[in-house]
Amino acid sequence: MIVSSRPKRAKSFQYVALVAYMLFLAFPLLWMLSVSFKGPRELVELHPHLIPAAPTLENYTVALHENGLVHAAWNSTQVAVFTALITTAIGLPAAYVLARQKGLISRLGLGWILLSQMFPLILIVIPLFLLLRRLHLNDSHAGLVFVYVVWTLPFILWMLQSYVRGIPRELEEAAMVDGASRFHVLRTVIAPLLAPGIVVTALFAFISAWNEFFFALVLLQTPSLTTLPLRLAQFVGIEGIVRLGPLAASALLATLPSLLLFTVIQRWLTRGLMSGAVKG
Amino acid sequence: MKKLLGLGTTVLLCAVLAASVAPAGKSKQSVVNLNFATYVWQPTTVKAMGAIVDSWNKSHAGIQVHIVPVDVNSVHDKLLTNFVGGTAADIVHDEAADIAGFTQQGYLANLTPLIPASLKAEMPQSVWDTTNFGHKITGVPIMLQTYNVFANMSILKAAGIKAPTVANPWTWARFQAVAKQLSTGGNYGVCWGLRSPTATIQTLSLNWGGQWNYLENGKWNLKVGAGEQAILKIIHNMVYNDKSIDAAGVGLSGSAVLPAFFGGKCAMTVQGNYQAQGMIQQSPKGFNWAMFPPLKGTSQNQAANPQTLSISTQSQHKQEAMQFIAYALNAQNMAKLAAGDWLIPAAPAAAKIVVKSTKHYGSWKNAVSAVPNFKKANWVTLGPYARWKAEVATPAFRQYLGNQISLDQLSKTLIDGWNNIRG
Repeated sequence: MIVSSRPKRAKSFQYVALVAYMLFLAFPLLWMLSVSFKGPRELVELHPHLIPAAPTLENYTVALHENGLVHAAWNSTQVAVFTALITTAIGLPAAYVLARQKGLISRLGLGWILLSQMFPLILIVIPLFLLLRRLHLNDSHAGLVFVYVVWTLPFILWMLQSYVRGIPRELEEAAMVDGASRFHVLRTVIAPLLAPGIVVTALFAFISAWNEFFFALVLLQTPSLTTLPLRLAQFVGIEGIVRLGPLAASALLATLPSLLLFTVIQRWLTRGLMSGAVKG
Repeated sequence: MKKLLGLGTTVLLCAVLAASVAPAGKSKQSVVNLNFATYVWQPTTVKAMGAIVDSWNKSHAGIQVHIVPVDVNSVHDKLLTNFVGGTAADIVHDEAADIAGFTQQGYLANLTPLIPASLKAEMPQSVWDTTNFGHKITGVPIMLQTYNVFANMSILKAAGIKAPTVANPWTWARFQAVAKQLSTGGNYGVCWGLRSPTATIQTLSLNWGGQWNYLENGKWNLKVGAGEQAILKIIHNMVYNDKSIDAAGVGLSGSAVLPAFFGGKCAMTVQGNYQAQGMIQQSPKGFNWAMFPPLKGTSQNQAANPQTLSISTQSQHKQEAMQFIAYALNAQNMAKLAAGDWLIPAAPAAAKIVVKSTKHYGSWKNAVSAVPNFKKANWVTLGPYARWKAEVATPAFRQYLGNQISLDQLSKTLIDGWNNIRG
């Protein structure tokens, strides 16, 4: 039996291309990793190397001790988790209604969602600050979560309603014909099918809140409330001066929770992204 | 009897409780808490500022100061939001050019009647002028920066070039000649990161008296005359004709060209004097660098745009806030802050302390030699300046330095932009 070498060669080429693409994608992260282990002198070499000549943990020490990264990470975690939970809890029923109820209100709702995404941040920040101050919510995590929920909700709604639309209406109708109530249908038919979408949107809300800088900058004043992005910004000084080593170490540590989260829910994520990709 | 005893005990308990609570309440009420928003950034300065606040809090139990860190790159946005929202700190750290707008908007208190005479006497009038807005001082100057030439002394010595001195500084012509001489074998005389060119160009224009803004018939007009054009022509000429400034570095930040300077690709670099801290921390072992005195056009004048401490109008404790400012900026403390940032103290007495205590005597001596040459630049106190700088000047200067527009086109853009923003 003669086996053609062409498919083998094609497969090898595919793997090479894949590895090259992976390296291309991962290079910034690799470079950050490399920088995080370099001392201040090695960072300004004219011909920098990927592998540090004299690896040091000094940048991690600075990141963890000098700049209060752990406390800031705890603050960010609280804010991001509550944002994800509240946004999803509000967004889920609202998205279901938007997707299933055809009518003027539904169309207006979707239009408003799109419109709300067009407001520049800088335009709303001062009115928002005044509003939160009146509610005694400025300089608090509660206020920050409130802002993040409002800011993230439109996009979450848009995403979730596209997932809901992806679930055939016939499944609900069949369950109802068998005597299931609307709530029962939602709980036993829709919720399991929608789970990947919920995970993806919750993750989106989490990451948005985790990375957000500007609202936190403007709203928070008490140093002990500071979130992670604000701490990272403290490594960047005037006129482009950057404490690159500690910044890279801090940024790498700040990326870890998101990476872990992605790893844990990877399977859900892939299913969720795919179902969202083909419907809408 | 039992009832009487119970009543007596209750009264006694109440009296004891009241007696113990009253002084506590009283002492709590009498403590004044001041928030101090500061953007100090270099670890050395953060440490110095922390130590100053701690020592104040220890010695002034009745006035406690709390530091509120502000991101150095978002100072204006943060302060503006807090002012508008009514949550501004009592004491705010900013710079003269930025407080002009806040003063116009009424967010900063008039410090003129509050500043102690001793503090007023510490600094030269030319520096006070930069925070005086129509006979109303709204900021106490802390420290200033100049733009200086940093040189790789090994390269200069090898080429037989003598370093300038405070008594005998380089002129721009000399600097150009040296840069051209050292531009050989793929190396450049100068690496100059001009990604944020406006402050550098405008400050150095004062070397030829270029004030950019001129008061005519009660209006502040913008002009791009010979004084303003001189520095622009020199830089452009060095990049594109002499090729003594590395064109690749012009679009980068000041710090981004340091690897080329440390690697010997450039013999000199023009930087804010605060970059000396970067030289100390990052230059390779044995690297022989020096900071030269400011270059001379028709003068060595540079714009005074000091960092400032102000008191917000919203503060309920302005007297106490000023007491703290006076303490934080006494000569000893100002010297500690300036040494951390490698910025020039606004008070000559503080400058003397820094020069005495430093390991880098020569460079610090050159840095503080600039103090008599600090002059008030008209733009520093003009309200529309901050917006013009961000929206018009910086993009236009970048285009000119990138050889995308001519000097005439640049002048027109700058003037039209100013007229539009000023209204």
